[in-house]
Amino acid sequence: MIYELFLILPMMLIVLGALMLMLLSHREAPLNRNMLSVLILALAFGLTLSRLGEAHSVFVFEAIFGRSFIVDSFSTLFDLMILGGAMLTLLINHDYFKSRHYFDGDFFALVLFAVFGMMALSHAHELISAFISLEIASLSIYALVGYNSDNPKSREAMMKYVVLGSLAGALFMLGLALIYGATGSTELGAIAAHIAAHPQDAHTMLIIGGFFVMVTLFFKIGAVPFHAWVVDVYHGAPLPVTMLMASTFKIALFAVILRIYLGDFAALGDFWSLPLQILCVLTLIGGSFLALSQSNIKRMLAGSSVVHAGYMLIALNAITLGNFNASESILFYLMSYFISSVGAFGILSFLAAHEHKQLTFEDFKGFGYSHPYLAAMMSIFMLSLAGFPSTIGFLGKFYIFTGAIEAGQIALAALGIFVAFVSIFYYFRLIATMYFYDTPKTEQHFGFDTTTVLILLMAILSIWGGIGTALLPYLPTPDALIELSRHAITSLD
Amino acid sequence: MSLALLILLPFGSSLLLGMLYLFTSLRSERLYALIGVGAPLLISLIALWLGYGQLQGAESLHVSLFTWLSIDALRIEFALSFDHLSAVMMAFVSVIGTLIHLFAVGYMRGDAGFGKFFAYFNFFMGAMALLVLADNPIILFIGWELVGLASYLLIGFYHRESANVTAANKAFIANRVGDFGFIMALVLLFGAVGEGGFSFSAIEAQIYSVDHALLSLIGVLLFVGAMGKSAQIPLYVWLPDAMAGPTPVSALIHAATMVTAGVYMVARFDFLYVLIPAVGLFIAVIGILSALLSALIATMQSDIKKILAYSTMSQLGYMFVAVGLGAYGAGIFHVFTHAFFKALLFMGVGAVIIALHHEQNIFKMGGLRRFMPLVFYPMLIATLALSGVAPFAGFFSKDAILAAAVASEYPLFGVLGLVVAFLTAYYMMRLLLLVFVAPAKHRHTSLHVSPYLSLPLLPLALGSAVAGFWGMGGAYGGGDALTHFLSLSDYAHHLTHKSEYLLALLSNLIAFAGFALAYRRFASGAREPQPTALFERWILERFYVDALYHALLVVPLRRISLWCERIVDDRFVDGTLGLFSGGYRTLATHFSTLQNGNVRHYALYFLSGVSLLSLLLLWRL
Repeated sequence: MIYELFLILPMMLIVLGALMLMLLSHREAPLNRNMLSVLILALAFGLTLSRLGEAHSVFVFEAIFGRSFIVDSFSTLFDLMILGGAMLTLLINHDYFKSRHYFDGDFFALVLFAVFGMMALSHAHELISAFISLEIASLSIYALVGYNSDNPKSREAMMKYVVLGSLAGALFMLGLALIYGATGSTELGAIAAHIAAHPQDAHTMLIIGGFFVMVTLFFKIGAVPFHAWVVDVYHGAPLPVTMLMASTFKIALFAVILRIYLGDFAALGDFWSLPLQILCVLTLIGGSFLALSQSNIKRMLAGSSVVHAGYMLIALNAITLGNFNASESILFYLMSYFISSVGAFGILSFLAAHEHKQLTFEDFKGFGYSHPYLAAMMSIFMLSLAGFPSTIGFLGKFYIFTGAIEAGQIALAALGIFVAFVSIFYYFRLIATMYFYDTPKTEQHFGFDTTTVLILLMAILSIWGGIGTALLPYLPTPDALIELSRHAITSLD
Repeated sequence: MSLALLILLPFGSSLLLGMLYLFTSLRSERLYALIGVGAPLLISLIALWLGYGQLQGAESLHVSLFTWLSIDALRIEFALSFDHLSAVMMAFVSVIGTLIHLFAVGYMRGDAGFGKFFAYFNFFMGAMALLVLADNPIILFIGWELVGLASYLLIGFYHRESANVTAANKAFIANRVGDFGFIMALVLLFGAVGEGGFSFSAIEAQIYSVDHALLSLIGVLLFVGAMGKSAQIPLYVWLPDAMAGPTPVSALIHAATMVTAGVYMVARFDFLYVLIPAVGLFIAVIGILSALLSALIATMQSDIKKILAYSTMSQLGYMFVAVGLGAYGAGIFHVFTHAFFKALLFMGVGAVIIALHHEQNIFKMGGLRRFMPLVFYPMLIATLALSGVAPFAGFFSKDAILAAAVASEYPLFGVLGLVVAFLTAYYMMRLLLLVFVAPAKHRHTSLHVSPYLSLPLLPLALGSAVAGFWGMGGAYGGGDALTHFLSLSDYAHHLTHKSEYLLALLSNLIAFAGFALAYRRFASGAREPQPTALFERWILERFYVDALYHALLVVPLRRISLWCERIVDDRFVDGTLGLFSGGYRTLATHFSTLQNGNVRHYALYFLSGVSLLSLLLLWRL
């Protein structure tokens, strides 16, 4: 009992923290709510960290909730990634929060609720709980997207996201009903047992149900053709929210996707493979189309995030074909994408906080001369996102492609490499814009504060993750990350 | 460990000098000179000590520093060895190298790039040491390449003049052509015997298992590498142009390092060449032709350094005749003695050039004997040695080669060798007379020669006089000591003592005939000749070889490159790529029109996606 309470303490902390922030939100006295939420997240992070590396798998409060919530090493790793991601997102936007008047206490309460939803998602071992967790996270994010109610774009983005999100949510419910009809349970273990107990061709209804569930999840990660909201919503949302959606929320979504695929639907892999391959191809090409045609950096990053989802679908497809090692590559890719995209978004947020710009490619002309350090770091992030060797992005792609090739998906890997080439166009376009134009502006002073230090940290991590293996002894290397992921995955078997 | 020091010292000091030069504002010539000369001095001492050990009959040394590469059968140890051959090479490379370094201190005085020069110079020594000490062909190749790089850097040292950079490029490219042959040979050799280890001794143990035809091919390709490095026909064109570098560089390239590498490499692979005498004959033919051609060209040159450059090429020709005919010991013997007098000649010439403020035309000099006796007399000794006058060093080594040539199945080599000896004596005496003896064209009041420039000449003069006694043949009371010490797989025949005396007499007479001719024509001064006869013009234009190469190789290659650039690359490659990328971007623009901001359209995409995937599922189920 006490032990189980201890296990869910991080999640409880987040909820309690959110409630506290709500209570505090109308106090007039100045209060650094951002730092307060970071503190709460850090506490939860610390608690979770103490369990890292420990092999465990416990259904919490089984007597009350049944087997709907699980705490295992898989969820622990994902909790850490989600908490760390949220923390970094909040910290790196420190300047941005200060520069905008509309970030009051409710905002941070909503962020914490979203984080709670995401964590619950990684713990969900039952489809209804998964749905509820997903909706907790989604509803909070809907509200966050439209938080800047003075900005019509932000309001519009929220409306779009709510409408389309509800549509997707409805499909989840439909799939859930079908699965329940087929197996008589919504608990993942029971579903797996059902699949194992019955012959392959008796799963028609289950597969259709599972398909609808998947559609919802693919909608959330922005796979083509369910992607249409991505660019508009990412663009309309306030920058910190965009970052949260692009990186942290995606991590949580892959937690549930991996849990479902690896643990329970693995036996049905043959059926998933073909639709997944089609989605993969569409997502990779469609995403690169989207990214290519944008003139706003935020929209370009949104479009490219679709491509990055496509890369992870390649790995997911490799998993359905039986190459379970590919799940480590998804985890590694999530981390590498997180590091580089948070860095890139961080620079955008820093600029938006200080210069109030639209952040189009035009605005970056001569950036290399007016902000040499930031421009250098932006180049690192772009290189890493493009998967340039000696950056962490390269290793991420490398693991994904090798995983796909091991699973026999050579054509898909080739397409991935091709799309990576295309991505060089839109990422390097920014680098070229920064350095190949003169600017009338003089060089700006590079000041150290929370935001810039974190951007620097992300830049260092991008490089270290790409080459750090032997250069710095006694520091964890990319191999260690992979090892960590492998360890976490074992708890799913 | 001391072996590793031989490599580490020069590279380390080169790095140190380079760092000092690049990152500090220290410009004290004293400091740079101290480090720059100290390192070669130390390795000379180590090399002599180790070489003395070898002379006393110590085991040859092997050191494996680390495994450089290990991929399946490909296992390359970074290993060094010190046997009799490397002992001889290392001894004179380091000692003469040190003297040249000392000379360079005087020569480069006041140059802005003083520190850089010594960084390069020590690097050159290190590269040569690596080449000589390598225990397997791969490491030898690394040294080989580094020597090429160092020579490139040093030839183009005065890089502000574009002609010098062109010369450096020429040297590098001609060497690269040769290196290509070398690398192909190594690949073939590795394919043939690599499985059982790739050190020289391992290759030697397995060499009999290799197919004869393949072995011949390997031999020829290896020699192509030597052609480049040792400036033989047809890859010699870089050597005269390499005179663009500072004179100490020429001395180092021509005496101690670089050009001797080709001969050394062939001698190192003696176990291979012994099995393929036909290739040896080919080498000898190339050698004698190079010797003849360059000696002829040297007789017509008026640039003091170019005369010496062609003379080097000619002497290298002798060495290749020797190793080609299987007299490896004689070949290395000549490398050894040649290093002394060629280093001396270059340094003497350097002193003259400095004294005359960079005048290099011998027809504008004259009467310098009075002003710089410390340069003249050593150079006289070197000239006598180079011309093969008994009992100077060059006589014994050249005589050993000529004897091997006469005794071989092709005595024509001997006859041509004597012709070259005549030409050598002629052009060397011509140089000496015009510079030192002939009446001066200008009135010199006093010419200052720094002791740094003249003192290193003295030990070399001594060496030029007596170094030959070490390898003195049996006919003169010696015991071929050097050849026995080297114990290479010589298969050359020997002459009887009587015919050897005859040959010696003949070659001395021929040398004096050359001197006499030169004396008659140049002792009282001469004006720069205007070539009249067709043949003379040919010689002066170096047989139009450079022009021929330009027309046959450079021009067509340029045309092809331009064609590739303009048609293949611009139109074909870029065009196709442009079509793709343009098409992709057009598609992207069309695709983005779908992104029109209408939620109802977005929902439509969503639902049609679901529907199509459902259809797919229906079909699959």
